[in-house]
Amino acid sequence: MITARARVAGDRIAVGPLDRPHRGARGPLVPASDDDPVTPFWHGAILLRVVTLLFAIGIIWVRRERYLMPSAAWATAVAMTLWTVVLVGFYRREDGRRRWLVVTDLVLSCAMMVASIPITGRDALARQATLITSLWSSGPVVGAAIYGGRYYGLAFGAVTAAADLVPRSYFDVYLAEDTVLLLGVGFVVGVASEATKEAAARGRRALSAQAAAAERERLARSIHDGVLQVLSRIRRSGLGTGTEAVGLARLVEEQEAALRALITSGPMVATVDDAVDLRSHLRMLSTPSVQVSVPPTRVMVAMTTTAELLAATREALSNVTRHAGVDANAWVLLEDLGDELVLSVRDDGVGIPPGRLVAAVAEGRFGVSKSIKGRIADLGGTVVLTTAEGEGTEWELHVPAVTAT
Amino acid sequence: MGTACAGGDGDVTVSVMVVDDHPIWRDGVARDLLERGFHVLASARDADSAVRIAKAVRPAVVLMDLNLGERSGVAATRDIIAALPDTKVLVLSASGEHDDVLEAVKAGASGYLVKSASAEELVEAVRMTAAGEAVFTPGLAGLVLGEYRRMAGSPEQEHPAPELTDRETEVLRLVAKGLTARQVAARLVISHRTVENHVQSTLRKLQLHNRVELARYAIEHGLDTDS
Repeated sequence: MITARARVAGDRIAVGPLDRPHRGARGPLVPASDDDPVTPFWHGAILLRVVTLLFAIGIIWVRRERYLMPSAAWATAVAMTLWTVVLVGFYRREDGRRRWLVVTDLVLSCAMMVASIPITGRDALARQATLITSLWSSGPVVGAAIYGGRYYGLAFGAVTAAADLVPRSYFDVYLAEDTVLLLGVGFVVGVASEATKEAAARGRRALSAQAAAAERERLARSIHDGVLQVLSRIRRSGLGTGTEAVGLARLVEEQEAALRALITSGPMVATVDDAVDLRSHLRMLSTPSVQVSVPPTRVMVAMTTTAELLAATREALSNVTRHAGVDANAWVLLEDLGDELVLSVRDDGVGIPPGRLVAAVAEGRFGVSKSIKGRIADLGGTVVLTTAEGEGTEWELHVPAVTAT
Repeated sequence: MGTACAGGDGDVTVSVMVVDDHPIWRDGVARDLLERGFHVLASARDADSAVRIAKAVRPAVVLMDLNLGERSGVAATRDIIAALPDTKVLVLSASGEHDDVLEAVKAGASGYLVKSASAEELVEAVRMTAAGEAVFTPGLAGLVLGEYRRMAGSPEQEHPAPELTDRETEVLRLVAKGLTARQVAARLVISHRTVENHVQSTLRKLQLHNRVELARYAIEHGLDTDS
């Protein structure tokens, strides 16, 4: 539930610093704004490519006398070196890590592996001679796995393994090992890359959701303490008796109600341990006819508990407007007893006649009973309802304090 | 103005000063009070001018908003009460400034009213303040109740923190739930006067403790220049 909410909030505001004016229509479509979370993987890949290149050149130098086409062998070494330089250049840039790059890498690497047939000769290859590319050909698998995840890794591993088998006229345990290693490397690096990207995306979403919620709370506070105070004062002091004045007064009243609804809905700001100050959310419920009283110190409560308590309080308050009469006032009191939180909602309305709640449940209109009692019972708490005809209604919600500071 | 003038306590008109940084609010409150026969002497928009003007016009009651920008209404409350022993300060504030409200009351403010209170409640509160009574609104009761519980819960105190009697706790809880003094008296089957005494006593203990704490702080930090 929370994840879904965070995602929505994240999508909405994950715009980032894109407010700069456009420099004509030809600018980059997607500016590389965020750090690529798998950049360390790419740096590792660069190291791997360079080390395996040196290894491959070393092998070529050792075997230089035995090639059928020695000059072609050296030409391949030059080609590998040049392509490695190109790869390093692209790997280092966030916008250089593209699909065409990893695909080209695979094609070139496989072509050189197959070129071992004329260069090294079928006979030598049949006697377990190394391919001209040797370890360097594992590079495309790693690059593809970092780029596209486990399926890219597996697919590129399979193609490379096939190119490894083509020049041979046999199959033995070493070639089997190569195949398993290539597929395994592609899979494992792919999984790691996916997990890293996912974690980074989750972190970004959480951060932007938190920033959005914090900003929202700041706005809500300022609306509640500023605009709403003024609106309610304007409405209360009356604008006169003319038709226009009555119309204006109704507009003011509507806007006031709309703003109140706006600031009391929406996501909450969680601290690191997922707890929020219940007081700041409760006080948004205060209106000219609803007074909220809270302790002077913070009352940190788990976010889910807060949501349930707020919903229960709102239900009790909406019950006031529905049943207690339009002129009824209500009071909300929050007490922190250390091991227990007590939330009281009292009104001075007409009260609930005996049996009415039971009747409401029997009718299937759960309203009060389910929303309030059910929510509090789910939190391991209890509800005490005191009411009598003509004496108002008082809900006392007792909830065990789980998160205390 | 047609109604029996609530501002006149007998023949004496209560003089009031309004401190708020919001012009619409300031003028609205002043008009409400004027219409009901109070004498609004002056208004101020920040803490410093509030203290300066109060010293000049010596109002009976200062209606103090706490959210005044640079220097808060708490400091202004402290200064005004120190300079003008006969002037009462009534805090009129948005509901969110819990800490400040408590600080202002500890510093000697006679009561606290939320800004969403009706004009009638406001007038009644000013009248009570002028008469020397505490304006013990539900919001203030909740804060005081919480403050006593905080003090009881905080460990190792050199100075014993004041505690509420069971009866005082009972009274404060009922006040915090919106019952009037009369309703509390009826519910607990005690006299109206007794309820008032309980309420006053909880405030007095808190203010006294605050003064002791301040003095102790001053001595510990060598602020007592006499020694």
